[in-house]
Amino acid sequence: MLPSYEELSAWLPDLLSGLSISLQVTVLSLLIGIPFGLLLALGVLAKNRLTKVIALFLVEVGRGAPALVLLQFIYFGLPTSGLTLGSFTAAVIALAWNTGAYTSEIIRASLQSIPHGQREAAVAIGLNRLDALRYVLLPQGLRVALPALLAFSILIFQGTSLCFTIALPELVSRAYEIGSNTFRYFPALLAAGVLYASISIPAALLVSHVEKRAGSYAQR
Amino acid sequence: MDGAVLHLGSGKPTMTEDDTLAARGVPSAKGQARKPLIKLDRLSKHYGNHTVLDGIDLEVMPGEVLAIIGPSGSGKSTLLRCINYLEPPDGGHVSIGDISLNAAAPAGRSELSTLRRSVGMVFQSFNLFPHMTVLRNVSLAQERVLGRSRKSADERSMQLLKRVGLADKAEQYPGRCSGGQQQRIAIARALALDPEVMLFDEPTSALDPELGLEVLAVMRELAETGMTMIVVTHEMSFAENVSDTVMIMADGKIIEKGPSADVMRNPQQERTKRFLRAVHDR
Repeated sequence: MLPSYEELSAWLPDLLSGLSISLQVTVLSLLIGIPFGLLLALGVLAKNRLTKVIALFLVEVGRGAPALVLLQFIYFGLPTSGLTLGSFTAAVIALAWNTGAYTSEIIRASLQSIPHGQREAAVAIGLNRLDALRYVLLPQGLRVALPALLAFSILIFQGTSLCFTIALPELVSRAYEIGSNTFRYFPALLAAGVLYASISIPAALLVSHVEKRAGSYAQR
Repeated sequence: MDGAVLHLGSGKPTMTEDDTLAARGVPSAKGQARKPLIKLDRLSKHYGNHTVLDGIDLEVMPGEVLAIIGPSGSGKSTLLRCINYLEPPDGGHVSIGDISLNAAAPAGRSELSTLRRSVGMVFQSFNLFPHMTVLRNVSLAQERVLGRSRKSADERSMQLLKRVGLADKAEQYPGRCSGGQQQRIAIARALALDPEVMLFDEPTSALDPELGLEVLAVMRELAETGMTMIVVTHEMSFAENVSDTVMIMADGKIIEKGPSADVMRNPQQERTKRFLRAVHDR
């Protein structure tokens, strides 16, 4: 059942390059997705009707559709309307959208959790809206949101495995490929699982550490 | 309109406001026509069908300290919050110095910004920014609103913190300060824009009596420098001893207003008598 040492050393270069692609997709999706989520959160909270409707639409589609469907839609669906994207780009777009949609809700809830008096105080000392957001609300809101954002980042890392359906050579694709070449599916997927865990578990420990630290300041 | 300070039949003012101000050592510009610094005209505010402010007319002279007392739900806090447009009134006029806002027209951003620069506000729950040091709390608006450099803002902040007796807390975070200290920092933060008027919304209600005293001491000092102040309070001794004028509100209306000694010791209105009796019996 377990892969032998020879097998492992033969597979590892492939698996590691797959892991590297998984991580690249994760990092890019988060770098694009979280700022996008912030914009969507502000959009949803905006007073302007049109802004609000557009933001709500993007959030609801991004959250309502499974990440797998978004991926397939962008990779296989868009070409029929004339837009063809590589699997890497399609993966980043789909997961960034998914990230944006979910993190916008995390960020919105965090912003709304800030006591109302904070905004009032910011207004009363004459700060304009942007400054109130930048200096008073966001620093506090993001501190509240940070643990949830990090936890979500781990989910997105695991979600990159869905990209094997659009032929992106990430970790699961590589393991699957090894399996189909050697008929050693179980050992290959097991090795891939261990690699996922080697990132996810330390990351989860980091999250709980950050959560404790963020909590230590939670008093007015 | 000048001089029409006493609105609702408090009967016989024994002492004019000029006299009270003079008694406190506030220079009153005798000879020139004294213009009120704050003037509210038929200010009203509704939440749905509920009338919170029912056509408030009010004038406050420069250097005057006005205490607003009254039962809870009488509209005292809302009145304060309408003065700096934290809650826009839905009828009437607010004018402060050169700024004049009509509730019927939506207020422009630059008007509101000028208004808030001229009006400092102190909240019941302090509302300091917990993620910034005390010094940053006081300096932030000076940099972002007045455009001061960080260095000159911090210098001014240190002066203000010294004035409220908290210079040694400058590098602390608000969470490490007592409630009384936090409220004094909030006063310094409000003073940082060099406002013409200071509004206090029950500044000592969230504090135990001892900590309340240190805040009241700072407010008394501020009054002695000639700052124009409107204080919503349940501290009857402040209303009686520090303020020049006392105004009683109930159900969104001004019940009685006049020199503090008169109103507190010799109220004319039945509603005022009832309120004061209830407070004293506590």
